[in-house]
Amino acid sequence: MTDDEPRDTADEEATGDHTDDHDVSHDGGHDDAHSDGHDDHGSHLPPKSTVKRWLVTTNHKDVGILYTITAIFFLIFGGILALLIRLQLWESGHFILTDLGYNQIVTAHGLLMVFWFLSPFAFGLANYFVPLQIGADDLAFPRLNALSYWLYLFSGILLAVSFFQGSSLPTGWTMYAPLNIPAFIPPVAELGSLSAILALILFTASVTVGSVNFLTTMYRMRAEGLRMRDVPLFSISILLTVWMMLFAFAAFLAALTLLSFDHLFAGADGAGFFGSEQGGSLLWTHLFWFFGHPEVYIVFFPALGVMAEIVQTFSGRRLVGRKWFIIAMALVAVQSFIVWMHHMFLTSINLPIKTVMMVTTIGISLPFDLMIFALIYTMIKGEVRWKTPFLFVFGAILLFILGGITGVFLGAIVLDYTFRGTYWVVAHFHYVMASGAVALIGGLYYWYPKITGKMYNEFLGKVHFVLAFVGFNLLYFPMFVVWDTPRRWFHYEGTVAPTIPFTDIVLFETGFTIWHQMATVGAFLFAASFLVMFYNLFVSLYSDRDVDESPWAYTGSAEWAVSSPPPEGNFPGTPSFATGKLSFLDGPATDGGVETDGGVAHEADRQTHEPVDHASWWPLLMSLAALITAVGISGLETAYFVWPFLFALPVFVGYLGFVGANREGFTPVHGLYMAAAPLIAAAFLLAFHLHHGLPGGLMEANQYFWVTTVGAVFGVVTLVSAGYESFNAPEPEMAEQWPFEDVNNTKLGMWVFLGSDIVVFGAFVGSYIFMRLNEGWTDWWALATYESKAVWPGLVNTYVLLASSFTVVLALAYARRGSKRGTIGFLSLTFVGASAFMLNKTIEWTELYINQGWTFNSDVTATTYYLTTGLHAAHVVVGMLIMLFLILRAVNGGYWSEGESAEAIENYGLYWHFVDIVWLFLFPLFYLL
Amino acid sequence: MANIKLYTIIFGALMAISTVQFVLEFWVLEEAYVLAGTAILVLSTIKAVAVAGWYMHMIEEPRSITYLAMAGVLCVVALTAGAGYSIM
Repeated sequence: MTDDEPRDTADEEATGDHTDDHDVSHDGGHDDAHSDGHDDHGSHLPPKSTVKRWLVTTNHKDVGILYTITAIFFLIFGGILALLIRLQLWESGHFILTDLGYNQIVTAHGLLMVFWFLSPFAFGLANYFVPLQIGADDLAFPRLNALSYWLYLFSGILLAVSFFQGSSLPTGWTMYAPLNIPAFIPPVAELGSLSAILALILFTASVTVGSVNFLTTMYRMRAEGLRMRDVPLFSISILLTVWMMLFAFAAFLAALTLLSFDHLFAGADGAGFFGSEQGGSLLWTHLFWFFGHPEVYIVFFPALGVMAEIVQTFSGRRLVGRKWFIIAMALVAVQSFIVWMHHMFLTSINLPIKTVMMVTTIGISLPFDLMIFALIYTMIKGEVRWKTPFLFVFGAILLFILGGITGVFLGAIVLDYTFRGTYWVVAHFHYVMASGAVALIGGLYYWYPKITGKMYNEFLGKVHFVLAFVGFNLLYFPMFVVWDTPRRWFHYEGTVAPTIPFTDIVLFETGFTIWHQMATVGAFLFAASFLVMFYNLFVSLYSDRDVDESPWAYTGSAEWAVSSPPPEGNFPGTPSFATGKLSFLDGPATDGGVETDGGVAHEADRQTHEPVDHASWWPLLMSLAALITAVGISGLETAYFVWPFLFALPVFVGYLGFVGANREGFTPVHGLYMAAAPLIAAAFLLAFHLHHGLPGGLMEANQYFWVTTVGAVFGVVTLVSAGYESFNAPEPEMAEQWPFEDVNNTKLGMWVFLGSDIVVFGAFVGSYIFMRLNEGWTDWWALATYESKAVWPGLVNTYVLLASSFTVVLALAYARRGSKRGTIGFLSLTFVGASAFMLNKTIEWTELYINQGWTFNSDVTATTYYLTTGLHAAHVVVGMLIMLFLILRAVNGGYWSEGESAEAIENYGLYWHFVDIVWLFLFPLFYLL
Repeated sequence: MANIKLYTIIFGALMAISTVQFVLEFWVLEEAYVLAGTAILVLSTIKAVAVAGWYMHMIEEPRSITYLAMAGVLCVVALTAGAGYSIM
C-alpha cells in the first residue's frame, strides 16, 4: 500500500458480494484516459499508420490485433480447404480432387483450424484483454510476446510452403503412426510432410513461450487488491488454458521431435521410432492424445470465458454460481489429462484401462453440465438483451450442448466401437470445436468497440448470426443423419430410412448423397456469413459510431473503465482494487525494479521510471531465421544434418565478441572471442573435409543445406543481438502476486519453462519406458546390436555434470559476494565441465555409431538411446552458448560488481541444474539398467 | 561461507551416490535385478531432490514453485503409468 489517495472510484455498487467481478467506473471521469490510442509518448514506437509499427511492436494490444487478424487469415485458409472437402463430397467418389490431394486438404484443414485459427484467435483477445482485465500495463515479457506471435505467423507460412514442396502431409490431423513416417508416406510428400511437422514444432514453441508469459503475468502482475478468485472469468479461462497448454503442448513437442527425427534419419525403409515393432504406432496415439484431449479444452476454454463474460453483460447480472463455475473449469483442466485413452478404444490397449478412461470421460462431462446450467440460470435470472454478441454466445451454447451430448456416446466403450471412424465423430467434434469458434466470434463483436472505438452495425451483426447459425446446422447436422459415412474418405454409400418409433413404418428413404449435398450447401452458407462480418467490421471502422468507455449497459471488468481504444499505457493511473472497486492511483506505475526479458539491464534505466519499451526488431527476425532454418531442414540430407549448426557456432562466438565490444567497449576478452571464431570455423571445416571432402562436399550439398546454413547463421546473429538489446519491462510497484510473492518475474518465468521442459523430457523417457515394457523390461538390451554397453562414459559424464552443477552454484555464491575472480572462475569451470561432457559424449557416440556400427536405424534400443541422450546433449549445447554470454559479461563487470545483480546467473543456474537432473535419470535408464 | 560448505557437502554426497549406483550395477544388478534396479532409481531420485532442493534453492522458494514443478512430474507419471499399464 502507498499513501496515494484514489483519484477516482467506481460509481456503481457491486451487484453481489465481495467476490464479484469488480465494478468499474463509467462516469467519464478518466479524462486522461481518453486518448485516441495513438499516444506513443515514451514507448519508442512508430505511429500505428506505419508498417514499421506493426513489425517492431511488442505492445500487448498491438500483438493482440496482429494475432486476431492473422487468425482470421488462417480461418479463411482453412475454410477454403473445408469448402474443397465439401465439394469433393458433393457425390461419392472422385469429383474435383485426387486421392492425395484430398488427404492433404483434410489434414491441413484440421491442422489450420485447430492450431492456426481457434487458439490464436482466442489469444488475440487474450493478448488484448488479459492485461487490461487484471490491471497490468503489459504482459511480463513483451518481447517474448512478440516472439510468440511471429513464430505463430511463420509456422503457418511454413505449413503453406509445404504444399509447394510436392505435397503436404497427407495423414489426417491426428497423424497416426505408422502412416506418419517416411516408409508409409508417398515419396512426393516427403519434404512437405517434414515441413508440416516442423511447422507444428515452431507453433508449439510459440505456444510454450506464450504460456510462460501469460502465467508469469497473471500470477505476478495483478493490480493491487485483485485476488485470483476475483479475476474476470475470461482471464480465469485463459489462465487455466495456459496451464493446460504448458504441459499438453510439451508432450506434443516431444512427439513431434521424435517424429521429425524419424523423417530425418529413418529413411524410406527404416522403422525409426514410431514404426518400431515395440509398440511404436500405439505409442504415437498415447503421446498424441495425451496432448490432444487437453487440446480440446485448450481450444474451448477461452470460448467458455467469452460465454461467461457475455452472458453476464447481456443478462445484466453476475454469473450464478460463479465460484462453482471456476471450480468446475479447474476440475476439467486437471481431469483433461486422465481421459486421453477414450480416443484409443479401438487400439490394442487392455479393457481395464479402457474402463477407467470411460469412467473419467463420463465424469468430465459433469463439470461441464454445471457450467452450462450456470450460464442458462444466469440468463433466466437476468434481463437478456439480444445484441449480436449475446446471440452468438446463445447459439454457441445450444450447439455445444448438442456437441457435448453426442460426445458422451463416444466415451462409452461399446458405442465407441460402432461410432469410431464415422461421421458421427466428425459431426460431434465440429459441434464442439466450431461452437467454440461461434462463441469467440461473439467475443469479437463484444470487444470490437473497445479495440476500435467504433460500434459495429447491429443489424448486419444479426444477419451474420442468422446466416451462420442456419449454415452451421445445415452443414453439420446432416452428418449425424448419415453418421455411418466413413471418416477421412470420400466414397460413401448407404440409405437413410428412419421409422416411426416402436413401429416398422418408414417415414422416408433417401440415399446418403442428398444429406451430404445439404451439408455442402450449409458449408457455403456458413462461409458466406463471414463475408457479412468482414464487411460490417471493415465499414464500421470508418463510421461515425464512436463509443466512449463502454457501449454496454452493464459491465464488470476493468477494460470497460478506460477509453476505447485504451491508452498506450492502458490506465490513467495505477489501477487498484484495494477498496473492492477499481480506482486509479496517482504516481509512477513502476518502481524501476527491472526485468530484462533476457536482455541487458542498464543502470541508467533503473534509476528512472521508464515506461515499458515496446519496439524491437528481434522477435520478427528471430522467427524469420527459424522459418528459414526449418525450410532448410525439411530437405536436408541425413549426412549433412549437423554441419549447418556447427558452422553457425563460430559465427555465434565471433559475433558475441563483436557486439559485446560495441556495447560495452572493447576489452581483451572480446578480442579473444573474435579471434576464437575463425579457429573454431577452421576446426569444423577440417572435420567437414575429413567427412565429405573440400570443396567437393560443399559442391555436392543440395540447396537445402545452404538454406539451413543461412537460417542457422542468421539465427545466432539475431539471438546475440536480442541478448544485448536493452529492453525494460518494469515490474509493477504494487501488485497481487499470490502465490508467487517472493520470486521475481524472470525467475518465475524460468520455473514455468522448466515445468514444461520436465514434460518434454518426461515424454521422451516415458516413451522409452513404454517400449521397453512392451518388449519385456529385462529383454530390452538383447535387442541391441552393439558390441558393448557404454557404462563407463556414462559414469564419467555423471561426475562431470554434477561437478558443473556445483561450479555454477559456486559462481552464483561468489557473484553475490562481489568476487570477480570467483564469479569468472567458476563460470569458466562450468563451461569447461560442459565441454568435457560434450567431448566425452562425442567419443562415446563415435565409438558406438561409427566403430561398432550401432546406428540410428540399427534397432529400437539405438533409436531411443540416440534421440533421448541427443535431446539432452542439445540442451547442454544451448547451455554452453548462454554460458559464453555470461562469461563475457562477467569479465566486463557483470553480475558481481557494485550495482549489478547476480540474477542472470541464478536463473541460468536453474536451467543448468535441470539439465543435470535429467541426466541423473538418463544415466540409470540408458547406462545402468 | 555457510552456503559454500553446504554446497560442497552436497557435491560430495552426489558423487558418492553416483559411485554407489555404478557399484550396484557392476556387482549386484545381475544377481538381484529388482532390488538393485530399484535402489539405483531411488538413489537417482535422492540426487535429483538434492540438486533441486539446494542447488536450485527450491527449499527457499515459495512452496508454489515446488507444486509447479511437481505438476510437470505428475503429468509425466500419468502418461508413463497410463501408457505402460495399457499394454500390461
